[in-house]
Formats: sequence, C-alpha cells, structure tokens
Amino acid sequence: MKKYYYYIPLITFILLILFFSRQLFLNKDPSHLPSVMLDESFPKLEFNQLEKYNLLTIEDIFSYDKPSLVNVWASWCVPCKIEHANLMLLKNKHSIRIYGINYKDNLQEADEILNLDGNPFYSIGVDSSGRIAINLGVYGVPETFILDRNGKIRYRHVGPILEYDIRETILPILTKLEQDD
Amino acid sequence: MIKLFKYAVILFLCSAPSSLYSQNNTNLESNSLVLQQAKELYEELRCLVCQNQSLLESEAPLALDLKELIKEKLKEGKTKKEVKDFLVERYGEFILLLPTLSLQNLFLWIGPFIFLFIGIIFAYKFYTNFNRSSNKTKTLNPAEKKNVQKILDEKLE
Repeated sequence: MKKYYYYIPLITFILLILFFSRQLFLNKDPSHLPSVMLDESFPKLEFNQLEKYNLLTIEDIFSYDKPSLVNVWASWCVPCKIEHANLMLLKNKHSIRIYGINYKDNLQEADEILNLDGNPFYSIGVDSSGRIAINLGVYGVPETFILDRNGKIRYRHVGPILEYDIRETILPILTKLEQDD
Repeated sequence: MIKLFKYAVILFLCSAPSSLYSQNNTNLESNSLVLQQAKELYEELRCLVCQNQSLLESEAPLALDLKELIKEKLKEGKTKKEVKDFLVERYGEFILLLPTLSLQNLFLWIGPFIFLFIGIIFAYKFYTNFNRSSNKTKTLNPAEKKNVQKILDEKLE
C-alpha cells in the first residue's frame, strides 16, 4: 500500500502534462484572442468619410433591424484582398449588410480597390489614425464583427473570411441571430 | 576679500542658468514624468501582434499606436491604472504581461507553491524513510557478523 503513495508526485506530474498539452493542442492558433467586446453594444464612435461613399454612422447600425457585419479592412492588406470576393458574395447572394471600417489607409488607393473589385459595403467609415480600431479591440486587419439586430457584438472573426468560414460560422451565426429575436 | 567676492560672483553665475532652467521648465518636468510613467506602462503591457514582447520592445504598427495613445492619455492627466483599465476593457487581461491576482488567476499564482509544498513533503518523507531503513540494517546480528568475518578472512588469506 505504501508503495503506491510514492507515485502521487508522478501522477500529479502526468496530470499537469496532460493539462498543458490540452491547452497546447486545443488552442490551435494563439494569435486568435477571444474578444472582450463580445455581447457589448457597438461603441459609439465617429468616423470620417471616404469620398463618394456613404458615411458609416452609429445611427445606421442601431436603426437596422437585422444582423449585420462590420469589416475592418485596408487596401494595403493582402488577406483583405482574399476575402473581398467573399464579402461581395455575402452582400449580393445572401443580401447581408456589411459596414466597412477603412483602417490606416491611403484613401485614394482604398477608392481604387473598391472601383476595381466592387464595393461590398453599405457604408464606410475611415479610421486613419487607428484609434477607432483600438477602441474596438482590433489588433490586425482584416477583422470582422457580427452584430445582432440591437447593435450588439456577437462574434468576432480574426483574419480573412474564407468560403469555409462563410459556410461554417458566418451564415449559421447570422441565421441563428435572425431566429433569436 | 576681493578674491572671495570674485569667487562668489563666479559661483552665482554658474548656478544661475540651472536655477533659471528649473523655474521655466516645470512643463518639461511634468512631461518627463509622463514619459517615465509611459515607459513603465510599456514594460507592463503586451504587444498583441508579437505576443511575447512588451510594447516597449515592439515596433509593430499597432504597438506604436498604442504607445502614442498611452502617452496622450497620461498627458491628459489619467493615472497609470486608468490607462491600463482602458486597454484591458478593449483587449482583455491578455494585454497585461503580469496577470492580476484575481480569483480566476488564483491557481496561476499559488499553484506552483502548492506543487512545491507537495514536492517538499514527499522528498522529506522519502529521505527520512530511507534513513530509517538504512539505520535498521546498520547493526548485524551475530550470525551475520560471523559470516562477514568469515568472508573477510577468506579474502585476506
């Protein structure tokens, strides 16, 4: 009986290893941080206008009574180019309203991109200093938030939205939000 | 006497600029306090792009923005704690390089000591038992003594 007693440190050690390896393998990408903004109302921010495009306003967001997306993007951001077509798809095929936040960008180039590849955004707000993104807890572009019909942040997607993400996360969440209220 | 007076004048002139400087530049001093505080904060905050660096070490664009923001907030008269709280509200406790001592983090803080304690207890038990058992074998019974003597004698022959 006494012999088993001595195995307790070893067992504790193995349990610790299991605990750590679980963390190591389950949290696949440590750069995907959970958002603290979840279930918070979209902060009352003011944006500058991108010329020729509708200005994103807080009233826009709060008066719309369907779930919507807020996409933080920039023309210099390569993953944003990858997701651009998918945003267009969300807008045209699934008629989802997407608000754009243009992050620390050259406005002329932003305009060019939208001219070239199409404009998936209902309205656009410009954040040239990056301050607004900080207020949203954004740490890289692209990032996308899903808002419910009350303007609450319900989901945050870090990195480009791929077809897979639309199918597996974005659309299911949107339909669930629509059914909820 | 005149020599002494000369020295006094020289001393006075030498000290004048520095006193003038300190009077006119209280603004600069409070500025350097802000910079000092800002630097302390940079060291305590995590750069979210390159995650194991502090803001101080990081040149990532987001880190530069955050540093600028921190300096501004401190200049507005916000305390270090207020600035930290502002950032934690947005980026979560992950941004703090030193986790706070909260109920959620309690295990993180005292866990190592618990394990150390358990380890010490076991080490203590193990070694005291070991000594006890070695004490027991120290004394040989007469038959064993005889046997050992026999072996030794054989070897010596």
